[in-house]
Amino acid sequence: MIKNTKCECGHQNPVGTVLCEACGKPQYEEADHSSSELLEMRYDGVARRSQRANPNFIDKIWNFFSSVKVAVYLISITLVAAMLGTVFTQETMFVKNFDPSTYYKQKYGTIGEIYYMLGLSDTYNSWWFILLLVMIGASLVICSLDRVLPLYRALSKQKIRKHMQFLTRQRVVYQGPVSGRGEEWVNRAIAPLKKKGYRVHTDGGALLAEKQRFSRWGPYVIHIGLIVFLLAVLFRGLPGLHLDEHYWFPEGEITQIPDTNYYLKNEKFTVEYYTEDEMSDEFKQKGKIVPKLFETKAVLYQCVASCNDPLKEPELVEVDRHNIRVNDPLSYKGLQAYQFDFEEVTTLRYVQPTLVDQETGEVYGKFMLRMNDPETEYDVGPYHLKLKDKYLDFGLDENNKPITKSGEPNAPAFLFTITGPGLPEDGGQFIYFPFLQQQELFGQDKLNEALGGINHKLRFDMIAMEDVDFIHFTSFLNIRIDRAMPFVWTGLGIVMVGLIMGFYWQHRRIWLRIDDGILTLGGHTTKNWFGMRREVSSFLETMGIEVDEKSLDNGGNRS
Amino acid sequence: MGKARRPVQIIILTLIVILGGYAIGTAVFGGEKGIPQAGDKPPAFNLRGLDGQVHNLEKYQGKALVINFWATWCKYCVNEMPALQTQWEKWKDQDVVILGINTGEDDLTVANFVKQTGVDFPILFDKKNEIVRKYGVVPMPTTFFVNKRGKIISIHQGELNLKTLNQQIATLVASN
Repeated sequence: MIKNTKCECGHQNPVGTVLCEACGKPQYEEADHSSSELLEMRYDGVARRSQRANPNFIDKIWNFFSSVKVAVYLISITLVAAMLGTVFTQETMFVKNFDPSTYYKQKYGTIGEIYYMLGLSDTYNSWWFILLLVMIGASLVICSLDRVLPLYRALSKQKIRKHMQFLTRQRVVYQGPVSGRGEEWVNRAIAPLKKKGYRVHTDGGALLAEKQRFSRWGPYVIHIGLIVFLLAVLFRGLPGLHLDEHYWFPEGEITQIPDTNYYLKNEKFTVEYYTEDEMSDEFKQKGKIVPKLFETKAVLYQCVASCNDPLKEPELVEVDRHNIRVNDPLSYKGLQAYQFDFEEVTTLRYVQPTLVDQETGEVYGKFMLRMNDPETEYDVGPYHLKLKDKYLDFGLDENNKPITKSGEPNAPAFLFTITGPGLPEDGGQFIYFPFLQQQELFGQDKLNEALGGINHKLRFDMIAMEDVDFIHFTSFLNIRIDRAMPFVWTGLGIVMVGLIMGFYWQHRRIWLRIDDGILTLGGHTTKNWFGMRREVSSFLETMGIEVDEKSLDNGGNRS
Repeated sequence: MGKARRPVQIIILTLIVILGGYAIGTAVFGGEKGIPQAGDKPPAFNLRGLDGQVHNLEKYQGKALVINFWATWCKYCVNEMPALQTQWEKWKDQDVVILGINTGEDDLTVANFVKQTGVDFPILFDKKNEIVRKYGVVPMPTTFFVNKRGKIISIHQGELNLKTLNQQIATLVASN
């Protein structure tokens, strides 16, 4: 059915327009002017963009998302889903290997199993939850577009002279006789209205006063903010934007944080335990050792050059330094390192043996022997040491050949070729076990005798405590990067601006026209009708018309 | 304004479908994370080789790859080395490259080992165990078979003998 949408003032209105876009005459009503109901002023009575006579497939999708009702349902469903996600621990909260398919059943029984089956155990990352967010986003975009453009059009070209019905069916209405010519009266009215902050437009015996129109855009500003927010939330999964992982950082080592340009050095890890006196009886009975404080002295480095070149050492620059404790993370440009756990390990990092002459007792000096990546040549006194082989975890295979049993320095052994005074021309071989008990266990002296060459001339000694360096702890840190957060905050900031625009200002309009000495005034505001009434009555008073505020209210006690 | 309505609608709906589809897609497939499976592309690496050169996937583009993770302390890795060497010699003319990625050991150890066993296929250093982690290797050795089009055909965990290795490479070469 095609409706005639042409108004009596001659304006052709789009389908679905409630009030004539030009003069404001209500459409689709009986011609007898009998209705005195208040007018529907939403979007100034203008049709939403998508309303058409014959919607096709695309229009139907568009209309679906354009509906506020649909938006409310979407938001409600999302809220309920988000609530369900808080019932049991989400899968993403687990750090160490756990199997969700059995965990929920074991921990919570049948309900847990159902919870897992329904996919609620990973609500916020599930396709349907994201789909809901996407749909809300679509709804936000389409709702805004569908309303903001018609509203803009309606407000930017308003006809000053409005239809009589439009005026009398506003909530604030005054009708009464005025003296003098209409145009004069209207001209006199400009000054007092301007004083109240209105922008005044006149057209002969008709007037339009309007203020704070911008507050009408508040809701759409909120929408824009929410769209930014949603985009940030949906796309934080993009590579490089978000990281939430747990890594081990051994003491004293510079460790790269995988997939980033950052390196973190755990300079020192300290843990302090509660003493027996400090613990509750309950804990004492359990015989538990409870850590009181654990702290990683961390230094953060950023790679500035040759970062991705395996042939060169990366060039690192210190960018931050922080003693990481529980709830006191290191925080640098969106990267955060939280203390999560630790492990006590005893891993040999390096030894500094002293080369001693067995015969004369002369000490030639120290050299540093690292377990990982040791130097292969050393000069100690007159002697030259060449590292020939290295076994981190010394053992012998079936054929009595030396092998290494693991990648951990549990039983390190180093085979050197030593040249220098008193030794054969081509040098002598020497095997060295840093751990004293292993020297005995594996028979270092016997092995060296068998290797020959050195003939008890030289000895490796460990003199001082400082000559041995162990990694005592390895610290487990939770590394988080969330570069989407600035966008989230920007979005929320825009939302706040929109809220303020809509909350603290009201779009007020006063229309009036004078026909044959009778003034008809209609007023509309987005909220605060009492203020509007008062403003109209005080305006009329300055114009010499005494009127009770309350009598201006044209029915309906909606506030 | 009225005429532009339809294109605007279509553009906006398309954008929503693309962006939304991407967001849902990354949620479902977990983005970049996850251990590579057969059918996936092998994760990228950029490693120094024993030959002092940089080795990466681009370098071996168009070749079938047998990526073997090993260490000198891993008995089974040591055991399968001769088989790898034999097959390398057999297949290298057919654009098959065997890459031995050593996990976390230093030059001296690896160089000595290679000298002893006499293997001459490219040996790469993964000192920080970064690539091992990326490939999700748990037991050692683990071998990835990647076809010429850069797709993982199969993943073999544990020791390979000459026969199975030969079969696997034959399948790899036949695969598209």
